[in-house]
Amino acid sequence: MSSSSFLYDALGPRGNRRVRWYSAAFAAVALGVLYLIGQKLAVEGQLSEEKWGPLVNPSNPNFGPLWTFLAGGLVNTLIVAALAIVCALLFGTAMALARVTSRPWYRWFVVSVIEVLRGIPVVLLIFFVARVLPEVGIGLSTMTFLVIGLTLYNGVVIAEILRGGLQALPRGQKEAAQSLGLSSWNTLRLVLLPQAFRMMLPALIGQLIVVVKETSLGFIISYEELLRRGQIAIQSLSNPLQLFFIIAVIYIIINLGLTLLTRKLERGAGKKTAKTPGGRQGAKARRRVPDPIPEARALQL
Amino acid sequence: MDVIVDNFDLFAQGWLRTVQICFYALLGALPLGILLAAARVSPVPFLRSLGGTWVTIFMSCPLTVVLFFMAFGLPEIGIKGSYFWFGTIGLALYSASFVCEALRSGINAVPAGQAEAARSIGLSFMRSLNLVILPQALRSSLPPMTNAIIYLIKNSAIVGAFGVGQDLFAVADTLTAARGLSALPVLTGVIAGYLLLVLPIGRILSLIETKVAILR
Amino acid sequence: MFSKGAEPADTPTVGVGPRVAEKAVAGPIVRLSGVNKHFGSLHVLKEIDLDIAEGEVVVIIGPSGSGKSTLCRAINRLETIDSGSIELGGSPVPVEGNRLAAHRADVGMVFQSFNLFAHKTVLENVTLGPIHVRKCSPAKARAQAMELLERVGVGAQATKLPAQLSGGQQQRVAIARSLAMNPRVLLFDEPTSALDPEMVNEVLDVMSALAQDGMTMVVVTHEMGFAKRAGDRVVFMADGAIVEQASPTEFFDNPQTDRARDFLSKILVH
Repeated sequence: MSSSSFLYDALGPRGNRRVRWYSAAFAAVALGVLYLIGQKLAVEGQLSEEKWGPLVNPSNPNFGPLWTFLAGGLVNTLIVAALAIVCALLFGTAMALARVTSRPWYRWFVVSVIEVLRGIPVVLLIFFVARVLPEVGIGLSTMTFLVIGLTLYNGVVIAEILRGGLQALPRGQKEAAQSLGLSSWNTLRLVLLPQAFRMMLPALIGQLIVVVKETSLGFIISYEELLRRGQIAIQSLSNPLQLFFIIAVIYIIINLGLTLLTRKLERGAGKKTAKTPGGRQGAKARRRVPDPIPEARALQL
Repeated sequence: MDVIVDNFDLFAQGWLRTVQICFYALLGALPLGILLAAARVSPVPFLRSLGGTWVTIFMSCPLTVVLFFMAFGLPEIGIKGSYFWFGTIGLALYSASFVCEALRSGINAVPAGQAEAARSIGLSFMRSLNLVILPQALRSSLPPMTNAIIYLIKNSAIVGAFGVGQDLFAVADTLTAARGLSALPVLTGVIAGYLLLVLPIGRILSLIETKVAILR
Repeated sequence: MFSKGAEPADTPTVGVGPRVAEKAVAGPIVRLSGVNKHFGSLHVLKEIDLDIAEGEVVVIIGPSGSGKSTLCRAINRLETIDSGSIELGGSPVPVEGNRLAAHRADVGMVFQSFNLFAHKTVLENVTLGPIHVRKCSPAKARAQAMELLERVGVGAQATKLPAQLSGGQQQRVAIARSLAMNPRVLLFDEPTSALDPEMVNEVLDVMSALAQDGMTMVVVTHEMGFAKRAGDRVVFMADGAIVEQASPTEFFDNPQTDRARDFLSKILVH
């Protein structure tokens, strides 16, 4: 059963019957809707070989060139995503450390940088980087602009994830490390940060999903990632419905894979992280672990 | 900063247009998200997987792709409309899954014992939902809901970027690309516009959060 | 642990004999026969037969994992059973719907973790059931609730939220909440296990007083002192089965089975 089954009792015979009935009724409606969509597509000529051939028929003359072109776009997407997540991780860790170790007299500065970067739409951030940097004489490739934009935004999100992880660690971890005579920097480096990373691993992978999605914003600055290349291909093939559908499927497959990975890690995470001792006191002292981002929890059928 | 002063009208109009997009999108996303959440926690397995599939699709697929699909794909099958509505509806469909997940995490945050206690005193399913579960679930779903709403506002910029026209993002594009003005002041103004929307709403919602938080 | 029983109880100890004599001679109010339950491959309740008479206080003890909580929760159908039957007042426990809700209204339940409704005040916690299930007028429900809260000694806390109360106070409110429904049977699922040691007695005192008033009670507990002092019968469970049942004096002084002797020796060591 789903995780919410605590809401209702185990079903009796009448409940079971009702559930079966509802299942059948909704399934019938869903099938009907699918049928209508299919029919509409057929009527509008959207199921024709002309529209789908280049995408699904290997003997179509356009099949090879199209997929080579799209694969190139996918590679560009993945390169940007990989670069962005690595840079964001470094930048985010730095920001998290800057925030937790900051002295009060400049903490407001660190906090406002984080808050402002988090408040700006990422598409605007990418746009900003790509337009403003050249103006001040920094001309870089569109890929670099895209990576910088994604790094800035996702870095501060990761900083907040890590800070949450650090706060959720039991007090005892810090106290124990300090009682061994570790300096506060070493306490952070050797004891707290590794645990925060491990605890937040699912959330961090979840952020990777966000990054993969956000690479598609490259179209704003004409970086040829998957979506942009699809857009270009459509100009000559004129099959937007089919091509955008396939591109959506590709993104969904990639991110579903990452979601499954997250789920696996989520089950394993925490095992190696210190827990507050159980029992009454423990339950009260345990601080809430921040919610992992929704993308990471998406599929829980 | 002359650029902002000179074009203040344009900025103000863009800002209002953005507010409009967000408002309509939220108007669609909230009820749809509630329906999805209800489906995902319902005892009917088919509804649970339907809700799950919807959420999975829209959380794995970039908003950009959703918007392109709607704006360029749908006209192919004779569904025509303005970019504004395609964009806003796309944003609503996309954001509904985040609203759904916010609600669901709120429901899951209610300890199972609360539901058991409610049933134990003889409350029916609907009563225990109305009197005990939902009041607590709604309060605990406020923080993720805040995130979902802020996410929606920020994503409205993508709707603008793909060409709704006249919103805050479009102002940036018009002024820098078409009129060739310097990007730094223009974009700073646009960013300020978004922050003006995102930061106060975030602040207000987190104030409400602390007001209604449940002591455990 | 056990020393509590040796302390002079603040409520006079009730002899088992005279109370049993007072009881109605009608059939059992709760009857379990041939009850089985599995959690996956784990057989958690094995062929349980148990009759509970009106006014009787049955204390269920046993090592953890012996199925005693599951048994207690099954009476309220918070746990389903695989086979066998559970009856309340001669009619089987309904499996679903409004009739199940009505059954639960008649059976009170006190949880280990209190489970007071976190968003409602103490008073609202107690009046919720009477108002929405028993259709009492709010004024009447409030008056009755205040009376009950006074009786369990938390009348002064009526306007507070549960989280502002100590564990012992919360559990006493939970008892008042159950009592407000005028239950025919009151189930206690390890009511003192989540309490700080200094608060255990305030809850046990309330329970003892209830027992003395003739409330039918099923108590799953590790408090042997309470079992001795307030119980009419001790049911000892191990590995999902009832191994032994007897009056408290008989059970504690002269356990019949090795399992029971072993269990008692383990708790009595310190």
